[in-house]
Amino acid sequence: MIDSLLLSQYLIAGIVIGIMYALMAIGITFIYSIMKMINWSMGEFYMMGSYLQYFLVVYFLGANLWFLGIPLSMAVVFVAGMIIQRYLLRPMFVGEMERKDEYATVVTVSLMVFFRNLAVVLAGPNQFAPPDYAGPTHIGPLPVSGNRFVALIGTLVILGLFYLIVKKTWVGKALRGSAQNRVGIQTAGVNVLRVDQIAFGIGVSLAAAAGALLAPIFLVWPENGAIATMKGFEIIVIGGLGSIPGSLLAGLLLGIVESLGSILISPSFRDVYGFILVLGILVVRPTGLFGERQRVA
Amino acid sequence: MTISGKHLAILAGIYAILAPIPLWLGEYFIHVLNISFYYVVMAASWNLIAGYTGQFSLAHHAFAAMGGYTSALLVIHFNIPILLGIPLGGLLAGAVGFFLGTLCLKMRALYLGLATWAFAESFRITLSMGYKLTRGDLGLSTPTLLDTGQAFHYYYVFLLLAIISLYIMYRIICSRIGYYMRSIRDDEEAALSMGVNTVKWKRFVFVISSFFAGIAGAFYGHYIGLLSPVSVDFNEMAILIIMVITGGLRTFAGPIIGAVFIELLSEVLREYGEIRMVLFALMVIILMRVNRDGIVGLGRNVLPKIKTALMRNGVGPR
Repeated sequence: MIDSLLLSQYLIAGIVIGIMYALMAIGITFIYSIMKMINWSMGEFYMMGSYLQYFLVVYFLGANLWFLGIPLSMAVVFVAGMIIQRYLLRPMFVGEMERKDEYATVVTVSLMVFFRNLAVVLAGPNQFAPPDYAGPTHIGPLPVSGNRFVALIGTLVILGLFYLIVKKTWVGKALRGSAQNRVGIQTAGVNVLRVDQIAFGIGVSLAAAAGALLAPIFLVWPENGAIATMKGFEIIVIGGLGSIPGSLLAGLLLGIVESLGSILISPSFRDVYGFILVLGILVVRPTGLFGERQRVA
Repeated sequence: MTISGKHLAILAGIYAILAPIPLWLGEYFIHVLNISFYYVVMAASWNLIAGYTGQFSLAHHAFAAMGGYTSALLVIHFNIPILLGIPLGGLLAGAVGFFLGTLCLKMRALYLGLATWAFAESFRITLSMGYKLTRGDLGLSTPTLLDTGQAFHYYYVFLLLAIISLYIMYRIICSRIGYYMRSIRDDEEAALSMGVNTVKWKRFVFVISSFFAGIAGAFYGHYIGLLSPVSVDFNEMAILIIMVITGGLRTFAGPIIGAVFIELLSEVLREYGEIRMVLFALMVIILMRVNRDGIVGLGRNVLPKIKTALMRNGVGPR
């Protein structure tokens, strides 16, 4: 019926796209695990990353130096995220603020509207396409588009760096500590407000990395973050808020389900399979596959 | 719910004050007012669930579209009168609100936001995928409620819709149920231990606010004459949030003022295009940092100061 070569080709495609989705989701869940808030404007940082990459590659670096654009755009978005966190989100943790969830939701939704429309004002509603990163290649016997292959390798490198920072460095220790217990880490002399700022910066720069890596595949336009946010949120609901392995696994799961769903059932409902998975998981396990049970106050 | 003579007189008075307004306005601005009445109902019903009950739902725009599509499809395919289709649209939105509310019962704030958002997105995708029925992204052209295409006649339809829905919401907020809602918002565990049936009333609020959204959406659909999945875009929800926050979350007058203010302002500034939305978003961010009760809160803070200043210049001791 369906031959195994085609099936494995779709499986590979699903895994490739799944790992890239996971990058976005890890950014969201990382910010959540430390600041206990959902950043609804994550897709706009993705958008920022893709725009920065496009302008860097087209006007400054040239098509051959595209790989320099990715760390540069990540760095710019990292700084922008730190500034935004300092002035808009830090007040949540200073003094007594009521209804932090509500504040965070309203502010980040407004940031989303702000950046989307700012992008239209500054660069127009047009789509841009940066030059291809690489020509078509093969993974084993299976053909794969060069851009996707580059994005896969780039994602793996960035995830590796992220793992090293979180597991091996002092900052990583502080980050993990404040994810576990915000009060406890303060008694150890860690400035939690600074940790929040770094966490937010790292989270949004992961989104920017996804944007920069996927720019030639999903193109660059003011609302390109919407799809990325959609996939990212689906993944964190499936994997469980606050769980990084959960995000990685759920990203792979979502990529594979979408890919196999398109070949086995119908490709036009591709975006629906993810949501069916999400709603199903929410009914069976309201905190996702790996989500910790939240304590009732 | 009985309606007292005094309330009826007040409502009639409000209607009498607002009814002659279109006589001085051009066709286009009457249309703008109609749309802002639609947004008043949407913002007020979202305030009911998010402001008064603390369930920060992000699927309100989806319920409006659900009401609109249901009514339009029923009218087109079964030839029922439009005035029957509109309440049916509202009822379906309310029924779906019941299921979504049930699904979200056990969820804490963040998961509730995610689940309602996922629901709205899947509804949008279903609308654009089911093109055999909904005509997908092409948009569904709907029969209009009145034979005339003039905004002038619709003005009274939307005015009545806004007044009646706001009155019902006002009565709910002032009743026992309103206290239950606020107690759930302020502390769900405490409310439960004081004997408030939190499950029942959370579901109730989901149903009633989705019902109003559905009704408003159905009227909107039969006025504009075109429905499309774009109306379930997350931007639409963001605009609702901007309206309610600008006016004042958790206040009754807030969403009304906010919706009319934002809608009128965005028409006045239409020539500036996307910059409007940039400014609105910036305004909301500043409001959240400085004054979280919006225009209503600003009034509450500033009015007493003006009063004392006036007193000082007048009779009061210096």
